[in-house]
Amino acid sequence: MKTLVLGLGNPILSDDGVGVRVAEAVRASLPPDVPIDVCELSVGGLRLMEHMLGYERVILIDAVQPGDAEPGTFRRLSYAELACLGPTQHMTCTHDTSLVTALEMAQRMALPVPREIIVYAIGVQDVESFGEDLTPAVARALPRILEAVLQELNISTQKEETHGLT
Amino acid sequence: MKQITIDPITRLEGHGKIEIFLNDAGEVANAYFVIPELRGFERFCVGRPAEEMPRITNRICGVCPEAHHMAATKALDALYHVEPTPVAKKIREMFYSAFYVADHTTHFYALGGPDFVVGPDAPAAERNILGVVHKVGLEIGKQVIDARIRNHHVIQTVGGRGVHPVAGLPGGWSKAITEEERKEFEQIARQNVEFALFSLKVFEDIVLGNQEYVDLITSDTYTHRTYYMGTVDASNRVNFYDGMVRVVDPNGKEFVKYHPKDYLQHIAEHTEPWTYLKFPFLKGIGWKGFVDGEDSGVYVATPLSRLNAADGMATPRAQEAFEKMYETLGSKKVNGRYEPVHFRLATHWARLIELLYAAERMLELVTDPEITDPNTRAPITATPDEGVGCVEAPRGTLTHHYWTDERGILTKVNLIVGTTNNYAPIAMSVKKAAQSLIRRGTKITDGLLNRIEMAFRAYDPCFGCATHTLPGQMPLEVTIYAADGSTIAHLRR
Repeated sequence: MKTLVLGLGNPILSDDGVGVRVAEAVRASLPPDVPIDVCELSVGGLRLMEHMLGYERVILIDAVQPGDAEPGTFRRLSYAELACLGPTQHMTCTHDTSLVTALEMAQRMALPVPREIIVYAIGVQDVESFGEDLTPAVARALPRILEAVLQELNISTQKEETHGLT
Repeated sequence: MKQITIDPITRLEGHGKIEIFLNDAGEVANAYFVIPELRGFERFCVGRPAEEMPRITNRICGVCPEAHHMAATKALDALYHVEPTPVAKKIREMFYSAFYVADHTTHFYALGGPDFVVGPDAPAAERNILGVVHKVGLEIGKQVIDARIRNHHVIQTVGGRGVHPVAGLPGGWSKAITEEERKEFEQIARQNVEFALFSLKVFEDIVLGNQEYVDLITSDTYTHRTYYMGTVDASNRVNFYDGMVRVVDPNGKEFVKYHPKDYLQHIAEHTEPWTYLKFPFLKGIGWKGFVDGEDSGVYVATPLSRLNAADGMATPRAQEAFEKMYETLGSKKVNGRYEPVHFRLATHWARLIELLYAAERMLELVTDPEITDPNTRAPITATPDEGVGCVEAPRGTLTHHYWTDERGILTKVNLIVGTTNNYAPIAMSVKKAAQSLIRRGTKITDGLLNRIEMAFRAYDPCFGCATHTLPGQMPLEVTIYAADGSTIAHLRR
C-alpha cells in the first residue's frame, strides 16, 4: 500500500513542531526500500489535501490544541473520528478551508484521495514561544509516539497481506 | 454594556477575536479586533547567521512563505551590498508571479468567493469552496485545483522545495532554469492567463451580474476613505517584486514615494492597551485615531490599495481589467489617473486583476531569452552591516530589516508584515460594519455575524504571520456582549 507519513507543524515554534520531530524519527527508523514516503509540512486545508493525492494510506502526526490533552499524551484517531472531533493544530487553513472539506471536494472531483487516513494527535504544552526544543513532557513522549507509529506501519503491512486472501 | 466576541474555535496563537460591545440602547458602542502575540521571535533570530533568514522567516507563515523568503533574500542583497545578476532577478520575479497566481486563486475561490457565489447569508457549512463548486460546477473546482498544483510545481522546481523555498541567496538564486523547464513553465503561464481571464468572467457574471451584490460592494457599510500604499515600478505601475513604495491620499494624489530602505522615516507604530500588535501609520500625517480621511495617518496595503496607489498595470490585459473596474465603480480620472476606489469589498475584484497581472508577468518573464542564463549569482565582496528587503506580499507590503555584525551574525531584526499594515483599517472596518448592521433590537443571526466577518475577510488577514507564527489558521470567534455584560451572541469557526 503506497503510504505517506506526514509530520505537521512548525519546527521552530517549540512543541508545535512535535509532528515534524516524530516524522523525522520515523524516516530515520525505516529500513531501506520500504515503500513509505515521509515528509514534513506546515500547511492545512487544500494544500494538505493536495499532498495526500496518489497515496492509498496517510498517517498524519500533529499537535492538538494546548489544553485539549495532557502534554506528551497522544491519541490515534481514524478519519471518521477526526471529522467528528474537529481539526488538530494544523489541519485547517483559514485562508482556504478545512482538511475535511478539502478531501470531500477532492472526492467529488474523483481525485485519487487516500483510502485510509490515520491521525496521531499529540498533547502539547507550549506552541507560542519560538525555539527548537520541545517541552520536557513532550520530549519524553517522543520514543513512545515513534514506537506507536512504527507499529502502525507494520500492522498495516500485515493487514495488506491478508487483504488479498479475503 | 453589551459585548459581542468573535473568537476562535481553538486556542491557537495567531487567532483573531472580535469583541463587540453594545450600549444600553442596544447599539454598537465599540468593536475590537484582538490578536495575541507570540514570544521570542527576535531572540530566536539574534545570534544566527543572516543568510539563514530566508529559511527561518518562511517558517513564520504557512500561507505565504514565498513572500517571506523573497523579502528576506532581498534584505540579504542589501545587507551584503550585492546587486543580483539580471537573470537572478528575473527568476525570482517569475517564481514570485507563480506564487501570486496560486495564492490569489485560492483566496477568491475558497475564502472571498463563497460570500458572493454561495451568498452572504447562506449557512456557514455551505459558505466554503465546496459550496462554490456545488453552485458553479465541478469543472471550476477542478480548474482551481489544477491552477494550484501547476503553480506549486513551478514554486517547488524553482524554489528548491515544496512549501518552504530554499533557493534565495544574497546576490542571486541557487539554481538556474533549464530550457526544458522553461518550456514547461511557459505552458503553465499560458494556462494561468486563460484561467485568470476566466476568473474575471466568473466575477463579472456572478457578482457584477447581481445588483444585490453590487449594492453590497458599494454600500457605505464597507466603505472607508483612507491613504493607500503599494509598490510601483518606474512608470508608477503595480509591481510585486521590486520598486518604490508609493502612498496616495484619499483623493488619489501622491502623498509620498520612497525607497523601501527608508520606511522608518515614513511609517511609525501606534500602540493600544487592548492589543499587543501595533498599528502602523503615516508619520507625515500622524496618528489621529481609528478614523478615515486626509487628516488621519491610517493607510491600507491590500490588492485594492496597490491598484489605488498605482497609475495602472504593467501588462496589457490586466490594464484593461484595471480600467474596467475603475470605470464600473464610478471612479473619475483626475490628472491622468483614476481616483481611488474606497469600497473595501472591491478588494476581491482587485485581487483578480492582480491574478491576471501575475499570470501575464510570469509569461513575459518565462519567454524572456535571458531566463535560462546560468549566471544566477553575483559574488559577495562587501562586509555586511544592515539591510532592508521589501516585496508586495499578497496581503500587503512586506518589509524585512536586519542588522548584523561584520561576520554577518544577526544583532537585530524588524519585520512589518503585510497584514500588520492593515490592522487599523481592519479594526475600523469591523467596527463600521458592526455599527451599520447591529441596531437596537436587531436579531443576531449567523448571516449577520458573517457580514461583519466579510468586513475583514476582504483583507484576507494573516495574523499568524503578523504575530510571527506559522499556522495559516486564523480561527475566529465573535462575541456580542449586552450592556449588563452578559453574552448575547457567540460565533466560532
